[in-house]
Amino acid sequence: MTTPIETSRMLTVHQAVAEASRCLFCFDAPCTKACPAAVDVAGFIRRIRSGNFTGAHRLIWEQNVLGGVCGRVCPTDQLCEEACSTTELSRPIEIGALQAFACEHEFLPEPRGAKPSGAKVAVIGAGPAGVAAAAELARRGYRPTVFEKTAEAGGQARWSILEPKLPRGVVEREIGRLRDLGVVFRFNVRSLKTLSRSRLRKQGFRALFLGAGLPGGYCLSVPGEDAEGVGSGRELLGRVAAAKTARDLRSIKAGKRVVVVGGGNVAVDAAKAVMRLGAKKVTAVCLEGPAEMPAYPSEIQSAWALGVEFLTRSRITEIISDRRGHVCGVRGVGIEWKVPGRYVPSNARDLADTEFSLPADRVYLAIGQCPDPAVAESYGVATGRRGLLKVKKRTGQTSVPWIFAGGDGASGGATVVEAVAEGKRAAEGIDEFLRSGKRGGKSRG
Amino acid sequence: MDFCGLRFENPFLLSASPCTDDLDMAKDALKAGWAGVVLKTTSVASEVVDLAYPMMSSFRVGDEGMVGMGNVDLISEHHIDVVEKRVRSLKRGFPEKRIGASIMGAAREDWEGLVRRLEAAGVDFIECSFSCPQGTLGSKPGAMLAQDPVLVRRVAGWVKGAARRAPVIIKITPMVADVVEVAQAVKESGADAVCASNTIPSLMGIDLDTFCPNPCVGGRTTYSGMSGAAIKPITLRVIAEIARQVDIPITGTGGACSWRDAVEFMLVGAGTVQFCTEPMRYGFRIIDDLKEGLESFLRVKGFSSPADLLGRALPHIVSHDDLPRLRVVSHVIEEKCIRCDLCHVACRDGGHQAIGLKADRTPETDEEKCVGCGLCVQVCPVTGCIELVEKGPLR
Repeated sequence: MTTPIETSRMLTVHQAVAEASRCLFCFDAPCTKACPAAVDVAGFIRRIRSGNFTGAHRLIWEQNVLGGVCGRVCPTDQLCEEACSTTELSRPIEIGALQAFACEHEFLPEPRGAKPSGAKVAVIGAGPAGVAAAAELARRGYRPTVFEKTAEAGGQARWSILEPKLPRGVVEREIGRLRDLGVVFRFNVRSLKTLSRSRLRKQGFRALFLGAGLPGGYCLSVPGEDAEGVGSGRELLGRVAAAKTARDLRSIKAGKRVVVVGGGNVAVDAAKAVMRLGAKKVTAVCLEGPAEMPAYPSEIQSAWALGVEFLTRSRITEIISDRRGHVCGVRGVGIEWKVPGRYVPSNARDLADTEFSLPADRVYLAIGQCPDPAVAESYGVATGRRGLLKVKKRTGQTSVPWIFAGGDGASGGATVVEAVAEGKRAAEGIDEFLRSGKRGGKSRG
Repeated sequence: MDFCGLRFENPFLLSASPCTDDLDMAKDALKAGWAGVVLKTTSVASEVVDLAYPMMSSFRVGDEGMVGMGNVDLISEHHIDVVEKRVRSLKRGFPEKRIGASIMGAAREDWEGLVRRLEAAGVDFIECSFSCPQGTLGSKPGAMLAQDPVLVRRVAGWVKGAARRAPVIIKITPMVADVVEVAQAVKESGADAVCASNTIPSLMGIDLDTFCPNPCVGGRTTYSGMSGAAIKPITLRVIAEIARQVDIPITGTGGACSWRDAVEFMLVGAGTVQFCTEPMRYGFRIIDDLKEGLESFLRVKGFSSPADLLGRALPHIVSHDDLPRLRVVSHVIEEKCIRCDLCHVACRDGGHQAIGLKADRTPETDEEKCVGCGLCVQVCPVTGCIELVEKGPLR
C-alpha cells in the first residue's frame, strides 16, 4: 500500500527528490492517462527532480486547482499509481505524496487576463466540481460567481474529509487562489428561490453550472428509525469539520457505544471520527462482505487500526429505543446474496439463526446519498436514475441548453478528482455553448 | 539574450547530434520551445560517412540508470546539399529561432565552400567540429583537429575568412593538455566563439560473458564518445578555464541535463548551453522545465536576465596556493542523523579516524583528530546532516 494511510505524510525535500528520481518519465505517461483531471504527472515529477518545485505546482494547478487536496485524498492506488510503469521494476512512484509535496510550494498565479470581459456565469455549489468549473471559466475570460449554501467552499473536501487525512489549511489555500483568478464567491445562500432561473437571467448570467452534490441521505426504512440519537454519518462529519477548537470538538456528543450503518467511505470516515471523539465501542454494520465494501481498503484498514469493529454481510432490522424515545440499541440479521456480485439491498436474503442485537446510544446512517430533488425541479432539468441530473458526458450539458451540471449530483458520487474533471469539462462545454452564439434561456428546456 | 551578436529567446540550444539530423525533428524541437538548433555536422559529398551499428552504449550506476551515454556515431550522412535545404526551410518556418549548422572538412576549399553555401542559405551561425572523437584525421586515427593549436589557428582562420556574416564557433575537445592554448588559438584566428566541449573518448564497459566491450559490433568495438551527466564536471572545468583566461564567448555543451546544470555552465561563463543526451533520452519536452526552472531561479535570486549570471562563479576559483587555510571540524546534527554510520566507516578507513560512535550508534567527532577534510559530508546520505564548523584560521 503506497497511499498514505492515516496521516497525510508530507515528504521532506530530500524524500521528494529521491522519490522523483525513481520516475522513468514515460512517454505518453500512463499515470497521466489514469488521472481523471489529466494532470501531467511525469512533467511535474521531472520538475520536482530538477528542484523546480514552483514549476511542479504550477503544472499541477493548470489541470487541477485542488491539487493539494487530491494529492492527499485521491485513491491513487486505483488511479495513477496503479498505472505506474515502475511497478514492473520495483514499486510504483508515490505520486499522491509527490503531488501534495509540490502543492506546498508557492508560485506566482497566472496573470489574470486584462479585465475579464466574458459573460457572467453562475455556479451553484462550491464543491470540487463547482470550483473547478469556476476556475476554468475564469481562465477562459468569463466572470463566474459561485453560490454556496454553507459558509465555506470545498464541498465534500471541506465537510466530509477530515484531518489528519486532509488538513483544513490545504482546502483554504487552494480556494483562496481561485479568488486571485477572479472567481467571486457568495456564501450562506440557503434558498434556491433567490437563484431562480428568471432571477439569474435578470442578473445577466448567461449560463449556469449545477454542482449541488448529494445533500440528502437514504434511510433504512426499518422500525424505530425516527428515534432520538439516530443521525446521518455525513452530518456528523460536517459537525466535526466545522469545529474550530478542541472545545468545539468536545461539545459534539457523538456517543459512547455507536453503530454506523453502511460500507462506503462516508461510513468508515464517520466510524473513525466517532472513535477519535472518544467512543468506547464503534461497530460498522454493512451489507457487503469485507472485500465487497465500496470503501477504500486503506480506509478500512486504518479504521480497523483505530479499533472500529466491522459486522459485515449484515443488515439492520430494527432500531430499539428506551422509554424516553432515545435509541438504546439495534437488531439485525446476517445475510447472503441471492445473485453473487450484486451488492444491493434487494439482492440480500436473511440467513436463519443469525439474528443479533447491539447496544447503542447513537446510530449513524451512511448508506448512500441522494440529490436534493428541489434542484432539478426549480431549474426544470431532466433527471435519470435515483434523481441524478442527466448530462451529456462530453460537455456536462443538461436538458436545458444553458444549464450544465457535474460532480456527485450528476455522477451519483465519485472522487474529488473526478468531480474536478467534470467541472472542467462542463466549463469547456459552457465556453463552447456561449461562443456558438446560442442565446440561453430562450428555450424553455 | 545576446550571444555573438545574435538574439536568442532563451539560452537553450540543441547541439549537433541525432536530434538535429532530421528536418521534422528540428522543427518539433523548435516548436517545443528550444531557442535554436545546431544541425548535425555535415560535409562535402566526397566525405564518406560509413556508419556502424549498433552505435550506442551506456555507463550505468546502480539505480541511477544511465549516467553516461556512449556513441560511435559519425557526422551526418546528409551532405551539404541536404543541409542547405534544411537551413532554408527552418529559417523560413522559424524566423525568430537561431539556426546553426555544424561543418567538418579536410581541405581548405571544403571548409570555405561549406561556409559560403550555408551563409547563402541563411544560416545564423556556423559551428566547426574540430573535435569529433570517432572520426579520423588523415593518417592518425582518433586524432582531433582541436588537439593542435597551430592547426586550429590555421583552419579556424580559413573559416572565419570565408564567413561574411555568420559568426563562427569552434567546437573543441577537453582531451588536451592545455585547453587554454587551444581557446587562445581560436581567439587569434578571429573566430567568434568557442563551443566547449565535446564528448570524452571512453571505453564504455565490457561484457563479462563475451569480453567484448560495448558497443559490441559483430564481436568488435571501438572507443566511444561519452556524453551525459557523467561528464558535466569535466565540461565545467573546461569552460571555467577558458573563461578565466581567454576573452571569447563560450557556448557550453557536455553533460548539462537540467536547468541547474545550465545555470552552473553560465556561472562559469557559458553564454548559451547546448543539450543532446537529455533530450535524446527524454524528448524535446524537457525544454519546458529548463525554461521554467531558469526563469523561477532568476526571479527568486533577483536577476533580470540569464546574462547576469555569466561568470559569477569565476572569482571564487583560485590556484591551490591561494586557498585560505582554515581550521574546520565536522559536526553531526543528531536530529537529522539516520544512524547509517557511513561517516564513521569512511573516516575510519579513508579519513583520520576522527568519528566515533556513541552507544546508540550516533556518530561523534573527536575534534582533536578531525582535520576537517569533509569526506564525511560527501558520504552522508542526508542533506545538511553533517556540517563543517569553522574554528578560525589554522595559523
